[in-house]
Amino acid sequence: MYPIVLLSVLGIVVLFLGFMKSKSVLLPATLLFLVLALASNFIDWNQGKVLYFYEMLAVNNLTLAFNAIVLVSAFMIVAMTRGFQDQEEAQPAEYYGIMLFSLVGAFMIIGYEHLIMLFVGIEILSVSMYILTGSDKSNLRSNEAALKYFLMGAFATGIMLFGIALLYGATGSFNLTDIQSYVSIQGRGVSYILYAGLLLLLIGMLFKVSAAPFHFWTPDVYDGAPTIFTTFMSTIVKTAGFAAIFRLLSHSFTPIYSFWWITLAAITVLTLLVGNIIAVYQNSFKRMLAYSSISHAGYLLIAVTSLSPQTENAILFYSLAYSIATISAFGVLMLVSKKKALEGQVDESYAAFNGLAAQNPLLAFVLAVSMLSLAGIPLTAGFWGKFFVFGSAVERGLVWMLVVAVLMSAVGIYYYFRAIIAAYLKEGDIGKIRIAPFYRIILVVATAMTILFGLAPGIFEKLL
Amino acid sequence: MSASLLVLIPLLPLIGFLINGIGFRRIPRGAVGIIGSLAALGSFAVSVVVLMAFKEAGSTPQVVSLFDWISVGELSIPFSFQIDQLSLLMLMIVTGVGSLIHVYSAGYMKEDEGFGKFFAFLNLFLFFMLLLVMGSNYVIMFIGWEGVGLCSYLLIGFWNKNTDYNNAARKAFIMNRIGDLGFLLGIFTIIGTFGSVEFTEVFRQATGLPVGDPVVVVITLLLFVGATGKSAQIPLFTWLPDAMAGPTPVSALIHAATMVTAGIYMVIRSNVLFTLAPATLEVVAIIGTATALLAASIGLLQNDIKKVLAYSTVSQLGYMFLALGVMAYSASMFHVITHAFFKALLFLGAGSVIHAMSGEQDIRFMGGLRKKLPITFITFLIGTIAIAGIPPFAGFFSKDEILAHAFEHNKVLWVLGLLGSIMTSFYMFRLLFLTFFGSFRGTHEQAHHLHESPTSMTLPLIVLAVFSALGGFMGVPEVLGGTHQLATFMSPLYEGARQVNPAAFAATTLSHSEEYLLMGISVVAALVAALAAYVVYVRRDSVPAPETQERPALQRVIYHKYYIDELYDAVFVKPIRTLSALLFSFGEFFIDLVVNGTGTLVKVLSGQLRRTQTGSTGYYIFAMVVGIVLILFWNLLLR
Repeated sequence: MYPIVLLSVLGIVVLFLGFMKSKSVLLPATLLFLVLALASNFIDWNQGKVLYFYEMLAVNNLTLAFNAIVLVSAFMIVAMTRGFQDQEEAQPAEYYGIMLFSLVGAFMIIGYEHLIMLFVGIEILSVSMYILTGSDKSNLRSNEAALKYFLMGAFATGIMLFGIALLYGATGSFNLTDIQSYVSIQGRGVSYILYAGLLLLLIGMLFKVSAAPFHFWTPDVYDGAPTIFTTFMSTIVKTAGFAAIFRLLSHSFTPIYSFWWITLAAITVLTLLVGNIIAVYQNSFKRMLAYSSISHAGYLLIAVTSLSPQTENAILFYSLAYSIATISAFGVLMLVSKKKALEGQVDESYAAFNGLAAQNPLLAFVLAVSMLSLAGIPLTAGFWGKFFVFGSAVERGLVWMLVVAVLMSAVGIYYYFRAIIAAYLKEGDIGKIRIAPFYRIILVVATAMTILFGLAPGIFEKLL
Repeated sequence: MSASLLVLIPLLPLIGFLINGIGFRRIPRGAVGIIGSLAALGSFAVSVVVLMAFKEAGSTPQVVSLFDWISVGELSIPFSFQIDQLSLLMLMIVTGVGSLIHVYSAGYMKEDEGFGKFFAFLNLFLFFMLLLVMGSNYVIMFIGWEGVGLCSYLLIGFWNKNTDYNNAARKAFIMNRIGDLGFLLGIFTIIGTFGSVEFTEVFRQATGLPVGDPVVVVITLLLFVGATGKSAQIPLFTWLPDAMAGPTPVSALIHAATMVTAGIYMVIRSNVLFTLAPATLEVVAIIGTATALLAASIGLLQNDIKKVLAYSTVSQLGYMFLALGVMAYSASMFHVITHAFFKALLFLGAGSVIHAMSGEQDIRFMGGLRKKLPITFITFLIGTIAIAGIPPFAGFFSKDEILAHAFEHNKVLWVLGLLGSIMTSFYMFRLLFLTFFGSFRGTHEQAHHLHESPTSMTLPLIVLAVFSALGGFMGVPEVLGGTHQLATFMSPLYEGARQVNPAAFAATTLSHSEEYLLMGISVVAALVAALAAYVVYVRRDSVPAPETQERPALQRVIYHKYYIDELYDAVFVKPIRTLSALLFSFGEFFIDLVVNGTGTLVKVLSGQLRRTQTGSTGYYIFAMVVGIVLILFWNLLLR
């Protein structure tokens, strides 16, 4: 609850700070606000389940942990913006303000107890993203991406709202606990209206986490948006979205698991196939990461579909591992593509990394570790993420789904390793890239965390 | 005894390894030797302190646990050290002899370009060897076991620009791996049977089993397979002579004094299990005796100074296993100790000779060196007398104890053992006479270059010579008026074994006169063999035939080491290579087809699926609607 209040106010403060002549205060201020939010987040730690705002928002250790992952990711991403100093048209105050507001939306969909809260949260998050996607106003692709995102997002919102309405019609309540008690009393005998409502609501949410066949916006939007905001979308929106799906299904709809799991399983497998297989053909690293984010949505869906006692921990760990690795991969991409842009050619393909290791061993190493983690190679956090996810599926007995998942992670190695091969084995003429000290610290910390959680995943459980 | 003190023992060589290993390009040569030697000496000093503390505390064994290492299901493997009589004795040998050889190496390897690398490996070896002897369970022992194998590989192939040396290194590694597989299977069987790998726990449970329990026989046989690899016994002994490709201090430390005795250490450590398996012990005794004889006979005709010593080592290890086979565990350990002294001495002496001869190793081109290398000569002489088993030098006491136990167990083993010891005495004195007596047979340049080695090399020789001469007095048998301090010291180790098989540990049935007789016979035999060597190589001044000359059939067979290498090549290496080539071409064709086919399939699929991403929003929304309709239709109408 506290981060929601805090960031709503501080977002406005950031907007006001934008009136000052010197823009240099914005970045440190925003980072400070994020740290404050993170600190306030833990006020409710270990208090059990607490309800706020007329029982519309729930706070427990799970939602706080998700909040923390979102905040840490946001901190890293904001730190990597470097105040947007190198872009003349940029409006740093507005960007930071919108990012902070979007985090408020993320907290709401992580902790919602009331479907209206979910809806409002998703809208806050989505509208922020539409704006940020189109923030590069002079770039046609950015504009196109924003418009596409907005059109399809509006469509998905409509579907979702319809689903919420049907659920209300069936149960007479927006409250998750009320719905839960309704469903458990009725069992499989609930009305078709509830089934339809649940499916439509799920579809709306699956759209947000880019599950197939509702993923079509993802590659175009991720590719068109400025890379920094792509990073934001692919980590924070995804983490929050999965928290929301997991809470909905685990809280209210476990009694009718036998109804929804098949649909979700089919979507999971489709998502895994689409994400991984299309990624193979991509020549653009950024576009590959877009497909990679679809495929990781697939892995996370495995955990949700199996809904075992391990799922909660698996989703948390996976989100963290995925977010850190994605942030460092995009971090390296931004540096390299900026260097390329200065030399006169915009290049976000694999070939941009050719020969990276020769003069920039740190960047090449960071890239390699993040790719290994995304591919799920042992001794990185990504391996344990997959391990926990697969473990929860085994507990539910969904072995056939695991076979697909394992095959697809083998496919994943192909496109992740292409980046490592480019960086280490290919010849290229990338000169020394200057990295700002703070940026370097973020990259090193992210890489260290990936390796640390890879060596000792138990640390994470200790933290909880 | 505090854990921090114990940890220092293996930690110091590890630190030495890290310093020299990471910084060997930057650290000045002078410092490298000092760092490496200090690490070994420090470890020795701590070991001495630990030994004192152990004796003061009433000689009670203890396990010092450092941390929980592996916990899987019911099985828990702690990282802990066991300090008892056996590990302390091994500690003293490893760190004591190890330190001397480090000091020696500082002189011997001074000119070598890989000086820093050499000391790094030597320190690393010490670290693993210490883990091996200090570990309180089979898994830690196995880490050390593998680690010393690795270091042995690295050091045999130390001069890695020579292909033959690399092949020798690889041979050693592969043969050791075969043994290691047996050891590993043994450990697995132990886990399966006892549910633990901790020595104390395994042996506590084992005492409840009957003698001859089939599972224990299997376990001990598997463990023994491991021992034959590491301790160069039939059929896995051929790597050790080839291992002489490494620098001489390596031969002395790893391939004579310490690593090769790991197999014996392991058997003594597991004495409860072995005592429970008389069948295995029989195998151990037979293999040990056969190895002792075979290797000694090959040693008779070798002309390379290090090869002679290598075969001698194999043969002496055979004696140790003979002792184990007749359950004379203390006698075996006694021989390990004395052998460590005199064989390290002989190797280092040989190194000193090679150093003086500018790298020449063939004894046919030596001779008359005693005047030019007086210290080397005297110490080498002491070593030779010690290994030949002539009293009162160290080898006499230990070897005689083994032979006495063999006599008690089985007269045939004793006769064979005696035969081996006659050969030992002959080939050792042959080596001594050909090297140090007569006239110089090398080139003029070599003669000009001859010199005694520097102090850093002669000092370890002198120290080892003193121990080779006097070391036997730690085990003077009762019949010669001693109390056999070593056996008394070690006796608590066999409590478990004594419990399961009291008969095996009964007091000797030999009368004093019988014992005197046995000693007399072996001493006279050794002296006669030495005399024979004197007559042939000093009086008649004969020199072994050059390579080109035809030899009589029997001599030829022995000279070519019974063609065992060729046999292994024909029976194992060639068929495996053929099979490997066959599988390779199969893999090239079929497996590549499947693998590349899958890759191509995915890529083609990807190319097609990619077309779904058209870029048109209308199409995207249409696809989504189709998806939604399908989901709703299937869920709400079809189910």
